[in-house]
Amino acid sequence: MMHLIQIALMLTLGPLVQGVMATLHARLVGRPGPPPLQPYRNLRKLWRKEALVPAGASPLFLAAPGIALGASITLSTLVPPLGAQPRTVDAIAIALTLALWRFALVLAALDTRSTFEGMAASREVTFGSLTEAPLILALASLAFGSGAALASILASAGLLIVCLSETARIPVDNQETHYELTMIHEGLVLEYSGWHLAMLQYASWLRQLSLLLLAAMILPGGAIATLAWLLLFIIAIPLVERLVAKMRFFEVPVLFATATILALTSVVMHVMRALS
Amino acid sequence: MNELQLDFGASALALPFLAAIVLIFPAVTLWTLRRRHRSDFWLLALFAGAMASVLLARSVTAFAIAWEVMALLSAFLVLQHHERRYVRTAALWYLVTSQLGALCILAALALLGTNAASFSFADIARAAPALPAATREWVLALALIGFGSKAGLVPLHFWLPRAHPAAPANASAMLSGLMLSVALYGLLLVALQLASPVPAVFAFVVLGVGLLSAFAGALYACVDADIKRLLAFSSIENVGIVVAALALVLLARQYDQPAIAALALVALLFHVITHAIFKSLLFLIAGTVAESAGTTDLEMLGGLFRSLRYTAPLALLGCAVAAALPPTGGFASEWLVFRAFIGALVEGPLALRIAATVAITVLASSAGLAAIAYIKLYGIGFLGAPRSTHPIERDSFDGSFVGMAWLGVMLAIFGLWPELALQPLERVTQALGFAVPPLGGFPLLPVKLAVLPLAVALFALLRARARIRSAPTWSCGSPVTHRSQYSASAFSNPAALIFRSFLRVDVDDAAQAIAGFVRRAAARARIIQGGLLRVYLGYAALALAAILLLAR
Repeated sequence: MMHLIQIALMLTLGPLVQGVMATLHARLVGRPGPPPLQPYRNLRKLWRKEALVPAGASPLFLAAPGIALGASITLSTLVPPLGAQPRTVDAIAIALTLALWRFALVLAALDTRSTFEGMAASREVTFGSLTEAPLILALASLAFGSGAALASILASAGLLIVCLSETARIPVDNQETHYELTMIHEGLVLEYSGWHLAMLQYASWLRQLSLLLLAAMILPGGAIATLAWLLLFIIAIPLVERLVAKMRFFEVPVLFATATILALTSVVMHVMRALS
Repeated sequence: MNELQLDFGASALALPFLAAIVLIFPAVTLWTLRRRHRSDFWLLALFAGAMASVLLARSVTAFAIAWEVMALLSAFLVLQHHERRYVRTAALWYLVTSQLGALCILAALALLGTNAASFSFADIARAAPALPAATREWVLALALIGFGSKAGLVPLHFWLPRAHPAAPANASAMLSGLMLSVALYGLLLVALQLASPVPAVFAFVVLGVGLLSAFAGALYACVDADIKRLLAFSSIENVGIVVAALALVLLARQYDQPAIAALALVALLFHVITHAIFKSLLFLIAGTVAESAGTTDLEMLGGLFRSLRYTAPLALLGCAVAAALPPTGGFASEWLVFRAFIGALVEGPLALRIAATVAITVLASSAGLAAIAYIKLYGIGFLGAPRSTHPIERDSFDGSFVGMAWLGVMLAIFGLWPELALQPLERVTQALGFAVPPLGGFPLLPVKLAVLPLAVALFALLRARARIRSAPTWSCGSPVTHRSQYSASAFSNPAALIFRSFLRVDVDDAAQAIAGFVRRAAARARIIQGGLLRVYLGYAALALAAILLLAR
């Protein structure tokens, strides 16, 4: 029952988290920025509009927003209930549900025949394949139960790096870019408009909240602590985006290697602790 | 000791593999008959029979004969287009590797037979615990080389990406889908029964080889631009996953973790079956593409969903299964494999846990790379617009489609109701002496949860009929043509650049070097080939004398 309430809250609050982060980011760079509730307004506006579909696209292009949204909802149900002890999480199901999301959107992008979309698709799958290992390892470290604080922090840091990539944030990607050549996530959905885009945006915000919540759950503490960590992440990520410059494309794998090493170290520490 | 007994009979271990043949062969047959290659049909049927007799063999002699028949028939399958030069080269590579592998297998089985003083598998398995350590190591090493080269394990895989694409699609489907599984059966047979228990060192070697194959296969598949070669490399990846899971079975048994061993074995068998089905399906699709578009080169393809109206949805399903996406059979089997490794991570001694950590890292990375390969296959080949002006023949609703659809339906069912396959596999595992935790031990809820995406997608499609409008693609004002599309090699180029140090290692060079050495050695040995009958008779007499001396 608590789990159902949690899922319902996540479904409602995904856009709010995005709005708060966008407002914070704007304030940090010296703009007044949109109000935190702006994402809800955008969704309502887009949902009412008709969707444009590139001429000659396959039915998959029409289905992709639905599959992406479905994958995001599935992901939110895979986040374990807050405060449940011991926390068990299905690392593989989470990783492969994210892969389903990517599969649908990248295929839709390749279907449009646009060079920009192809470029974004190629980059998205490259990063997606590199984040698979840190994602699964960091989530697998949850299977050891809580206890080793340092190990949990390392795993959470690894997962946060994956989050930066999955939610299209600096230093991997830039949500606010309007330059087609540098877009990754925005490039994938370039051809989507109207209610299709509404579904996709809502899906990515829901996915963002789910991933951040997972990263918070890895850290030690009960339900209250997890929420506090989540709040900290929501504040910290715009700050990181303000302080760090976007990386060159071929420097990003180094960042993912770091995430993998963080997650690996965490697992090894857990193993050592469990055996001693 | 009766060396020439030809025992055949069903065994628990062979059942899943036999089931794979029974499920897949009709589909390949339907495809073959519809495509009017009637002459192939008998060859394929004989080949399926040979594979079944390998699985049914219960004695060394029966196994060796059946194996040799299977190997020769498969070489004939590869040679069907022998008028092309590269096919003959590929077949030669294949035959040499295959025969060397068969020699290793024969040696391993003969060692086991002489030790047990019987060539029947039942007696050998009974005598297995008393096997001297040195003999056991020799047997296992020979079996790994012999079966590993047939299964395409790195670094003995070099023939596979040559031979499988050179064969016609229906033969490739049987080779990649089924014959690799038969080779894996051989490895399982030796490791789990004939030479069991296996020392931990060997299990670590198996794990290393499996992980190397999984990663290398996925990486090569990811950067290749030919559908059939991509599929062949992906077979190497999947064989690697299965062999890594076998290593987990052996290690967990060695370190006294029966639950993990049983889970890993169930996962392994399930993955073998899923892989056999989706790989046959994808090779048949590659054949359909080759027949209607005249090529399997992704750089020349595109927009196939328009002409291949029946095949394209099956290709999408096949690619989703191969990329292990929920809610398909590929997801269920990959999920179980990972679940077994994560189980080993949390329980068990240090060595097992470290092995599991490494395995999870490598398998996760290769899963990511394999996903790129299959997104490329479908996204570049079937979506967008054609990249060449070659006319594309439409496909129709016919027998070949029914055959492929049958494979697709099975994959969908395995995704939604994995229990359907898991319950029989669980019984097989029990019959092999593993205590399987009850099926409730597999929390399969998430597999079914993922049905949601499909439901929402359906909703979106229904809604789509009302409020959409067609418009040209945005390309900063320049026209969008088939030339503006991303190409296959550009698509995977970032991954190729990131992993360039891995791709620089060329196993082919090593294989060429070995081949050159063998050729030179053969040239030297030709001195004894005098061409005179009496010299040859002398050799025969000498050999006979040597045998009599040795057997005294």
